[in-house]
Amino acid sequence: MSQALSNRPGLDFSLTPHDIKRRRVNQLALRIIQIAAIIAIVPLIAIVFVIASKGLPHLNLSFLVNGPLERPTGIVNAIQGSLVMTFVAIVAAAPVGIAGGIYLNEYASRNVARVGELLIDVMLGIPSILAGLFIYFAIVPILGHSGWAGASALTVLMIPVVMRTTQEVLRLVPAGLREASLALGVPQWKTTVFVTCRTAISGIMTGVVLAISRGLGETAPLLLTSQSSNDTAINLGQPMNAMTVVIYQNAGSSDPQVVATAWTTALVLFALALILNVAVRFKTVNNRIF
Amino acid sequence: MESKTTSSSARAITNPSSGAVMNNDRKSVIAMQLTDVEAMYGSFRAVNKVSLEIQARSVTSFIGPSGCGKTTLLRTLNRMHETLPGATVKGSIEVNGVNLYGASIDPVRVRRSIGMVFQKPNPFPAMSIAQNVASGLRLSGMKANKQVAEIVEESLRKSALWDEVKDKLNEPGISLSGGQQQRLCIARAIAVEPEIVLMDEPCSALDPLATLKIEELISELKTRYTIVIVTHNMQQAARVSDTTAFFNMGADRGGFLVETGPTTKIFTNPTNKLTEDYIAGRFG
Repeated sequence: MSQALSNRPGLDFSLTPHDIKRRRVNQLALRIIQIAAIIAIVPLIAIVFVIASKGLPHLNLSFLVNGPLERPTGIVNAIQGSLVMTFVAIVAAAPVGIAGGIYLNEYASRNVARVGELLIDVMLGIPSILAGLFIYFAIVPILGHSGWAGASALTVLMIPVVMRTTQEVLRLVPAGLREASLALGVPQWKTTVFVTCRTAISGIMTGVVLAISRGLGETAPLLLTSQSSNDTAINLGQPMNAMTVVIYQNAGSSDPQVVATAWTTALVLFALALILNVAVRFKTVNNRIF
Repeated sequence: MESKTTSSSARAITNPSSGAVMNNDRKSVIAMQLTDVEAMYGSFRAVNKVSLEIQARSVTSFIGPSGCGKTTLLRTLNRMHETLPGATVKGSIEVNGVNLYGASIDPVRVRRSIGMVFQKPNPFPAMSIAQNVASGLRLSGMKANKQVAEIVEESLRKSALWDEVKDKLNEPGISLSGGQQQRLCIARAIAVEPEIVLMDEPCSALDPLATLKIEELISELKTRYTIVIVTHNMQQAARVSDTTAFFNMGADRGGFLVETGPTTKIFTNPTNKLTEDYIAGRFG
């Protein structure tokens, strides 16, 4: 019996030259994608390393709580300005973006949704300086170079981020859940808020955090709108400092002390963005729905 | 405005005992009267002129081959069909003398009285077991906490799930097994006290044991509710239903009602040759 089976070519399991070649190609391809993955991570590690090594020596409490005109000099007004303008911007952008995303995914007709998606994608791709330029012509003539103008520019950039993410995560909510809710006699708006959005809430929050990160990281639109200031008072009606603007203005200086300020500010900004992202990551992993 | 006489449609052969409405005899009360119901997806007619009566406090099953429109027809009964883009309904469905498709009728109110259990168990993933059962009550505005807790327990008992979940009411609904999830969905549907419960192939995603439990449950629920069940499983229709309606797909791919009658008659002595062939497994 076994004699007979072993004669069948389909049951010969010894390696052929083709098998050996395939194994080699397989190994080679695996190495290539491993190296690509390492290349992708190297800049990140390098950035963290350089920012930490250049920024840490000058980081101390007075740097965080003093104004730029005090001695020792500090960036408290830039931290305040970044946080205040980002906060104002997200307070405006999150409701608009979430509501817009809900409309596009839950209520709009297919054609409207398609056009809306296209417009958001275009908005997402707009270079941020154009948002600054727009506010420079639309708001600055009325409110002047001010925190309000800076926050407006950030809002313009944040809305499409929140809207697109909201729409994407709502699309992942199974249609069966909406049907189950409607079949219970729940009105559509309550189905949308308490079933659909509740199911997708962690994804929606991720979109909001992405938008906050974007707001904290923008430089160009702020140069045109909020400009910069040495004033440590929080006044949205006046020009405001931002961490990114401090980095931009100081990094090119010939005075090594000023350049050090840029590096240390970069470290503070990096740490803020990191904390924000990690906090949300933990929060969303714990409430994972999908 | 509504005539409660048996439909004159030649295809619809109704239960002889239901020809007249006897208000004091629950067994022969007509829960729903369908007259020339048509369901469209855009210009495609998925269901052709169905007229039939659904008996109160009993189980009516819709059987027929795939694509014959039985699920679509079921979804017209609580105005869920129209939630799909381009879907429309013609004809009338009268409950208690009122046409559900009348101009002044709010579909939300219709769905509150006519609940639905779906093919795939679909508990709300962001809610616990108790919250799932309470969801219909809370979201339709009934808030008193104590009352809700009582209704949750009662609904879970009615759906034969209480003993299995009473110690873990705060765990997520999706942590349960498939069969338990489906009973949870039944509990959720009956918690809002509907008159009629529609079931769309409720056991098709379940194993035989879970199926048996749901079937036992259906037999118990029919003492309180009118149940309409779509099933692909003819043995299931024979086991659980009192009345069976057999549908088929026409040459235009639209579904139509072939015949309806007491389940025992449909399965032993059908009037129509098509029904006989389908029951015997010669097609479908």
